[in-house]
Amino acid sequence: MMSKLSALRGNIGWDKGVGILLLVTLIVGSLITPDFATTSNLGFVVQDIGEIMIIALPMAFLIIAGEIDLSVGSALSLVSSTIGYSFAHGISFGFAILIGICVGAATGALNGFLVNYLGLQSLAVTIGTMGLFRGLCFVLLGNTPVNQLPDFWTGLGVNNIPHTFLPWSFVLIAPLVFFAWILLHHTKIGRWTFVTGISAEAARFSGIPVKRFKFLMYVATGVMVSLAAIVYTLRFASASPDSAMGYELTTIAAVLFGGVSIAGGFGTMWGVIFSVIELGAIRSVLQLVNFSSNALQMVSGALLLFSVAFPKVIELLKSRREARVKKPSPSLASMRSVE
Amino acid sequence: MKRLLSIREVPIFGVLVLFFGVAALGNHALFSASGLHDLLFTSSIICLLACAETLIIVMKHIDLSISSTIGFSSYIIGKNASNGHGLLYCLILGVIFGLAVGAVNGVLVAYLKLPSLVVTLGTLYLVRGLFNQVARGDFINSDKVPHLLTYMADHTFVKVPYLFLVALAMAIVVGFVMRHLRSGRDLYAIGSNLPAAHLAGIAVEKRTFWAFTAAGGIAGLGGAILLARFGQAQANSGLGIELSVVSACVVGGVAIAGGIGTIYGAMIGALLLQTIVMALGALGVSQFWQGVVNGALLIAAISLDKILSSRSQRTQIMRVSA
Repeated sequence: MMSKLSALRGNIGWDKGVGILLLVTLIVGSLITPDFATTSNLGFVVQDIGEIMIIALPMAFLIIAGEIDLSVGSALSLVSSTIGYSFAHGISFGFAILIGICVGAATGALNGFLVNYLGLQSLAVTIGTMGLFRGLCFVLLGNTPVNQLPDFWTGLGVNNIPHTFLPWSFVLIAPLVFFAWILLHHTKIGRWTFVTGISAEAARFSGIPVKRFKFLMYVATGVMVSLAAIVYTLRFASASPDSAMGYELTTIAAVLFGGVSIAGGFGTMWGVIFSVIELGAIRSVLQLVNFSSNALQMVSGALLLFSVAFPKVIELLKSRREARVKKPSPSLASMRSVE
Repeated sequence: MKRLLSIREVPIFGVLVLFFGVAALGNHALFSASGLHDLLFTSSIICLLACAETLIIVMKHIDLSISSTIGFSSYIIGKNASNGHGLLYCLILGVIFGLAVGAVNGVLVAYLKLPSLVVTLGTLYLVRGLFNQVARGDFINSDKVPHLLTYMADHTFVKVPYLFLVALAMAIVVGFVMRHLRSGRDLYAIGSNLPAAHLAGIAVEKRTFWAFTAAGGIAGLGGAILLARFGQAQANSGLGIELSVVSACVVGGVAIAGGIGTIYGAMIGALLLQTIVMALGALGVSQFWQGVVNGALLIAAISLDKILSSRSQRTQIMRVSA
């Protein structure tokens, strides 16, 4: 418990730190390359991180609640494939999107059921469903992507809002981000999420319907993933069975880099939001200075490792210094650290 | 009989035989020597990696980075061989690379106490990105693969493919360590009850570190097998293979909750998965169902394990202590 308290204190600083890092990246980026701070590039960054942002919001809830979902990338691909498949089989595109959202909710419901009602480890389960959903994409579409999507819809994915530099996806993402922030930090649901993450048992004893709560959280994740899938499908004007490969890793990396504790219970929505934008900014800078796309993969991996290793190293150093400075009885030392 | 059934691997082996029989009824070609050969040949890589993954899962950890390690290692071996270096030199380079990745995982998991899932997810990304950066569009084709490796892929020893024999030899070595040596038994103790393992004086950090390093080394060696099996190496070699390996282990009775399971079980699991894939092909089901079946089987295996373990908690405790 004490280490969690100190982790809490650490994390309050962490999300502001990410915000500052973002600011630094923006400044450095615009100094390095004149193309960075242009409106068209900012529009591109928003478009580039759109799906990650949408998935990162529910992922933050899940990780804070002490669970995880590795199947989001495959689920996104499955929703996209479903939309493509339905459309290719003569269903109108609007209705195909509705079917897609239902499928997305179903993927979340399956995960939620297995994790909460069968009591399986979310890590293992979602590795399984990750393979399952990806397999279903190939069953639906084979190896051939669906490309002829209606122009009106793909226009939404590619074009900007008239008279602005922002893509249409911004209309969807901005309210979602705002809503997620309110939900996590200013409502009962947010507080339930934190409590569940710190101790599911304590949450249950204090009257929170933990199982149903987490089940619904997975369903909500599925719905959010299907929204991301719509953005993704329209943006690439294509529904293909191998879309969004590795998105689960990028998303989890972004959430953890945003200061959410992998052990659950701690984190802020602002940290996650800053972190996703920071990811997009770094990617953009690297692309503009002609780094290959492979470097981006390494950046995600390095960010992920850094965001879990750094706080631990700091904690380790701090405890070592404290042990060296004063060597009173251990009980006294632990009382100090509570203050 | 009762004692035989209480061995965890026996029911899985039964299922394997059952599936193979059903598939062979649908397609008689499967029951021939060449059908068996195909089964052993195609599953040799998963079997080898299952040895590495079992070491890790038994400690209640997970290693997802092996797919990137084996891929990069196969490229390293192929590249150096095509530059004219001897096979032994290339192999040593591959294994050292694997050990290095494993050691990084080991330090972060054992000494910094970071969750293995996140750490190996990170190294999975990092190594794959590095691999892409180094390999770019480079392609090691079959005439650059060392002669001995091509020979091993094409020939058999008493009807058993050489590649599978490599995996089997590795399984026997690792299996012996895990069954009979203290260092191996400690892994089970760590996985079944970490605080107790600490209190019992087990050097948890050291064991965890070396297990991860060994797993990396096995994956590094696996690079040679991957190169031999496909006769080529490129930037996406081994991509996504970690899921099949984890599936094979879990299906083969290595409990994801730690402390239970053997290498042999994991290998039977790998063979079972491959049999199902071949059975689907033999019964005329589209190959696209393969991923679905793998995923579904993994979920089914975890669910079954959960149900069985909560029903027979007592026998399980006995099994752990046995």
